[in-house]
Order: sequence, then structure tokens, then C-alpha cells
Amino acid sequence: MGGAQTDFERNWTKEGKNMIALLKEAVEDGFKDAGFTFDEMVSLNKDNRVAAFVGNFIAEQYISQGHLGAFLTEVNPAFYGVPSARYEAACASSSVALDAAITKIKAGEYDVCIVVGWEIMKSVDSKKGGDILGRAAYYEKEGKGIDLPFPKLFGRLADATIEKYGLDQERYLNALAKISCINYANAKRNPLAQTRKWFMSYEEASTRGTESNPNVGGLLGVSDCSQVTDGAAVVILCSEKYAQEKGLKDLAIVKGYGHRTAPLLFDKKIADNANSEYVLPWTRQACLDAYKRAGLTVDDIGVFETHDCFTSSEYAAISAFGITEPGKEWDAVENGTIAFDGAKPINPSGGLIGCGHPVGASGARMFVDLYKQVTGKAGKYQVKDAKNGMMLNIGGSATTNYVFIVGMD
Amino acid sequence: MIYPKTITVVGANGTMGANVSAIFASFGNATVYMVSRDKEKSKKAAIRAGKSVKADSIVNHLIPVDYSNLDECVKASDLVFESAAENLELKIELHTKIGKSLRKGTVACTGSSGLSITRLAECYPEVVRGQFFGVHMFNPPYQLTLCELTASPYSDKAMYADLKEYLTGTLYRTVAESKDLPAFLGNRIGFYFMNEALQYAERYQDNGGIDYIDSLLGPFTGRTMPPITTADFVGLDVHKAIVDNIYENTNDYVHEKFVLPGYVQKLIDEKKLGRKSGQGLYKLIKNDSGDKRMMVYDIKLGIYRDEIKYSFPFALQMKKYLRDGDYDDAIRVLIENKSQEADICLRFLLRYIVYALYTAEHVGYDLRVADDVMATGFTWCPPFAMMEAFSRVCDLGQLMKERLKPEIVNAVDIDHIIGEQIKSKYDYRIYFKAK
Repeated sequence: MGGAQTDFERNWTKEGKNMIALLKEAVEDGFKDAGFTFDEMVSLNKDNRVAAFVGNFIAEQYISQGHLGAFLTEVNPAFYGVPSARYEAACASSSVALDAAITKIKAGEYDVCIVVGWEIMKSVDSKKGGDILGRAAYYEKEGKGIDLPFPKLFGRLADATIEKYGLDQERYLNALAKISCINYANAKRNPLAQTRKWFMSYEEASTRGTESNPNVGGLLGVSDCSQVTDGAAVVILCSEKYAQEKGLKDLAIVKGYGHRTAPLLFDKKIADNANSEYVLPWTRQACLDAYKRAGLTVDDIGVFETHDCFTSSEYAAISAFGITEPGKEWDAVENGTIAFDGAKPINPSGGLIGCGHPVGASGARMFVDLYKQVTGKAGKYQVKDAKNGMMLNIGGSATTNYVFIVGMD
Repeated sequence: MIYPKTITVVGANGTMGANVSAIFASFGNATVYMVSRDKEKSKKAAIRAGKSVKADSIVNHLIPVDYSNLDECVKASDLVFESAAENLELKIELHTKIGKSLRKGTVACTGSSGLSITRLAECYPEVVRGQFFGVHMFNPPYQLTLCELTASPYSDKAMYADLKEYLTGTLYRTVAESKDLPAFLGNRIGFYFMNEALQYAERYQDNGGIDYIDSLLGPFTGRTMPPITTADFVGLDVHKAIVDNIYENTNDYVHEKFVLPGYVQKLIDEKKLGRKSGQGLYKLIKNDSGDKRMMVYDIKLGIYRDEIKYSFPFALQMKKYLRDGDYDDAIRVLIENKSQEADICLRFLLRYIVYALYTAEHVGYDLRVADDVMATGFTWCPPFAMMEAFSRVCDLGQLMKERLKPEIVNAVDIDHIIGEQIKSKYDYRIYFKAK
């Protein structure tokens, strides 16, 4: 039915505002976009036809708060009595919430589901924040006592990719620099992107190891990283029955999904790919599952939103989506296929690198962007001919893999 | 001119000169000659420029030079930007010099925050006079995207359109087109507000003065920093130059609000110019143990004393509501609270809306420009967004007529000024902080 995201440039702690303020704004904006009202929700709730699903990674650490499903009752009394719970899978948390909501609708349990993904991260400094995020890996073995564990893990993904395909390191790193630039450039068109005012150039992104672009994880520089931020994204889903009842037409449809969990430890994850052409075989499998369920192929997809927590993860996603063969991802980067005006644009929103990465919100944010693209509501970052869109949201070091395909009839 | 590849920045060692050079070299991908009196200073400015846009790679495109190279740099450039001190004689001298070597087709501009663009255009030989414009950016330009663009009567219209497109599309500036009037748009509105706050501090000196007024116009009223603190950051000498220029060269219904209060002049005379000189309206003291203490100038006593931590009930209630995202309730408190402080605060905000729109109508070409200048030049809740916040809970026109002094209501046609139903592109919720 619709959805919305908050302005990812905002720092809610600096504004002195709490999670309730964040949730209120996101929910109100999402409802408004969807043409849904609190009164309508109260009415549906009388017959137990509406439910809410909250995606959040780790508010317990960032703002010392748990029991997050219950907090929607603080947003508006219309949520009193509405079933709600929190779903978690690290950075893929709101995709799990979406999955639960979609499944409940398909099962005929509810007619309207409200999905809210959110994270407040600017409440702590970057060192503490990096440590908290280490809990998306196997903390005791891959996080504890390590400075910024995640850039290091995705730096190792870069190493593993070069090694698996015998790539020329410079060519690979230059492709990553170009991925970074495309995301920054796309974010300039997105009025809610965190980096919409920031500067990035190919020269800056490809010159790593400088004071302004220091190496942070193996071969990766700061320009290869997405940046954490505060934010929320809301999606309102409904059943076909409800759409007919209300005479809602031309709605975007969830056509398929994929959900696969890879080995948690990075070493095991890489060892596990020995018999696959793909560096992240379970990520690829999640994409294949989604295509199969949707009855579509890569040829049918006009726009992609991927989880570029680091440039090395977007690089791996290119072949996982099927845009290129595995090992040939550089081609789609170099020849402009994935650029905004390319045949298979990735992250017209700016992605995690450009739009920002409030971890628990990112999956729902991508989903909102697919909805905007396929319904022609993406404004200045609208991609042409986007009848179907596909998103990949990952948790941890590509451990939880979630894929959704959203499109028009 | 569509895409200047080579640019000269004159006065490039100043804060603004270095920061503007960085904008040209980064977003503009241009080679920039940085001209200052001393090549070594230009070199240091180039390093600072790289830091200002968080990209050391642009330093490769910055060429430090001194005034002995000015002629050749101007001749080689597609755009020349003057960022010298805000002094008319100095600028006349520089532009006369630039005019002698300016090529046909090269854009010349001044970063002046309020001197006459027409007067400066007249420094140029007739054949290139149409190539001169006012391009006023705000500091720091990487964070504040506002750029006030002003033509002179001589300006080439096609070149003006090209320059506007370049500033908007390539440099990602928020371009506000302004008439050639003192202080242009943003500073006329912003410094009106700040100077009136300084005047109120004097009037309410028995209540505490500076910190009293700042406490009731804090971030919870739609800004990042209270207005007197902002003046202290800007520098009292700069503040004085701006309000004096407006006072001497304009005459609208708020004319007297641009009179610099005597105590501010006294501080300037004592070289207490604000944050940059260690003391001004405020004074930050660090003791031996490293503890910081914020002192404030007490107008009544003429000395610095500890800042008073005011807690006005209306402000506390507003912040409590804002913390939970209840914006309507916060605005209702402001309107309904009967205390002197809430009344002063509310009337400040209402006067701000009225004067911002009045100025946009007289100095700009489009009312929406009032929003652009205040949001992207000052990070204050812009007037149309603030009108939206108020209009959700009250009849704003009625409120203005009830609460504003007759001299304002009589001078300005309130129904006309707020009559245009313009939906702001800015979100008021971002600006009202719970602080």
C-alpha cells in the first residue's frame, strides 16, 4: 500500500529526540503515503485483521531498550491491542519482519500488516558502535576486542574474491572505487540520503591509504564503507482481499522472496564456497529462490537495491543477482550496466553507502525504494522501465541472506 | 560557459576563500589557482581546503600562487572568484585589476556578503562588464549549501542562466536569486533576528540579559544554536559591519532593529570580538584541571559572570513534547503559556516569519527563496515550514494580529504576507530540537 523512510541525515540524539519520536514520524509518514489511517487500523483491529512487525538489530546496546514490539503503543493509542513483536537478524532484521508480515497475510491471518524497521546508532561513538556491531558476527571469535570488526570481515571478502577468481587486484579495487562513486552520485538525487551533501570522486575513492581515505579493513578504505546513521522505514502491506474490498488499484505486489542462512563464521563461509562458482553461494541461492518463486529471471528485473554495507558486498551481489557470471562482476561495473542510467541499475537510492545504513531499518528502506520505483514514485531518482525490482538485504558477514522481488502486475 | 575547467580564487587564504576553492575543485572538478598575498599562505590554505571537503585528493588540483601571478591566472581562467575582506575600496581595487585581464567569456564574481554588485561591476571595462556577478556562499559551504546569486543591471542574461545552472547542477548549491540590495536575503533576515535578540538582551538586562534571551530562543525554537551565541560565533565586528550596512542603506519597517546596541560596540572597542578572540558576548574559561566554564557578559554589571541555567516552564514543557516527537503539543504550549518568556519567544518567531516573507518579496524574486536561505544558510526552521508547524494548531494570521505590536500589523499586510499557501519543501520537524 505504501511506505516511507525518515531523513537518514538526521542525528536524533543530537536533536534530543528519542525512539518514540523517530517511530511517530516514520509511522505517520508511512500511513500518509499509503492512505491508511489510525481510525482504519482501530476498525480493522476489532476483528483482529491488523498486526505490526518491528525490525531492529540491537537497541539493547545502543539505547538500553528491549521489548521493542510493544513500543508502537507509545506511538499512537490506535496500536493498543494490535499484535506486534520485534524481529532480529542483525542488519537483515527488518527483512525478517517483512517476511513474517508477508507470510501472515498469505496465510490469511491478517489483512493489513505494518512493518517498521529502525535503529538509533548515533547515541554512541564510532569505536563503541563498531564493537556493538561486532555482535552481528560471532562476537567471541570475530568481534570481541577487535577495532571495527566488520570492515575487517568485508576486507577479507575482498581478499577472498580476488583469490577465488584470480583477479587483478588493481582492477578489482578500481571497480570497488567506481561502485562507491556510483552510490554517492545516486544519493545526490535522493532527498532523504545521509550523504546527499557529501563529496566523493573516483580519484578520492581509488586513492586509499590517505588521511581522508584511510584503509580500515585490509584493502578497503573509508570510501568503501557505508556509514551508520539513525533512521526508520515503514512498509504497509495488505492482502488481495483487502485491496479488493477498498477498491485499491495498481498496487505493487510482493512476487517472491528468498531466505538462506550461510555459515556464521567467516572462515567457514569461505571454506563452504569451494564447490561453488560463487564466492557467497547462499547469497546466490537466496536470489535463485526468489526468482523461482516469482517465476521471473534477471531479464525481468529493471531495478536493484542491494546491501552495499561495503563495496565488496555489492561487488559479490552483482553475480548473485545474475547480472554477470561469477568472476566477471567488474564488467558490469566498468561498462556502466549498474549505473543509474545503465541496463541494470543498482541502488538508485544511493544504497547503504549513499543513503545511509541504520542497520535495523535498511531492509525496510530497500523495500520502500522498490515500491517507489515500481510505482513511479521515486522522484528525482526514478529509474526508467522498472516494472519489477529486486532487493538483497544481508545480516552479518552475508550470513543471513534475504531477497525480495516487488513488481507490478 | 557551461563547465569552468580553470578557476582563480582571489583572497584564497581566508577561511571562505579556501573553503570555496575546495567546492570548485571537488564538486566542480576544476583546477583552481589560489591567490593570496603570500604563496606559502596559499599552500597552507590548499591543505585546509582538502580537509574542508574531507578529500585530500583535491589538493592535487589546487595551485597556490600569489598576487604577482594574478594577471596570468585570470587570463587562463574560465571563472574568477574574489573572496577578499569585506571592504569596498579593497574590492574596487581588486576588480579593477581583474577587469584588465579578464577574457571575453570568463565569469567574474565576488563573494561579498552585501556590498553593491552594481558598483563592483563598474570596475570592469564595458566590454566584459556583463560577465560580473555576486555569488555569496555561506560558511562553511560544505555544510551550508546556500548561494545567493545577484546580477547587476549590466549582467549578461545567458551567462547568468549558465552560472545558475553550474552552481545548482554541478556544485550542488541551493541558489537563491537576490536583488542587488544590502546584505541580500539571508543575512538581512538572519541578522535582523540576531540583532533584535541583542537589543532584547539589553532591554531585559535585569532578567539576566544575554543568557536570558538565548535561553528562550534555544534549539527548541527551530535552530541549532541560540541567536546571541550565533552572533558570538560570527564575530561581533562582522555582525556590526552587516547590521550597519543594512541600517545605513535600507529603510523598511524594522529599520531601528538594525541599530547595534551600545554594549556590543563597547565589547568591539575592547577587542572582545566573540569566539574567535576568546571572549565577546560569552567567554569560555578553562581552568588548570581542564574543566570548562561558560561565562557570559552581564550587560548590567559590565563583567563576565557564570552562565545562568534558566529553566522556564514553557521551555521545559516544549522540550519534553519535542523529545517524544509531539510537535503540535509543543507549539500549543508556546501559544498558550502566559509567561513573559513564552510571550517574548512566540513574538520573536512570529516577527521572523513576517519579516522573512516581507524580505523575500522585496529582495527576492520568489517567496520560496525565504525558505531556502534560512534552511540552507542558517539551518533555522524556514518560514514556510514554521508556518506549517503553527497552522496545524492555530489560525496563524489571527495569532499574529493578536500578539504582534500594532506597528508591525499596520506596516505589513499580514493577510497578504501569509496568504500564499506555499507548501514548504523543508520538514519543520527536523529544526525543532528537544534542547
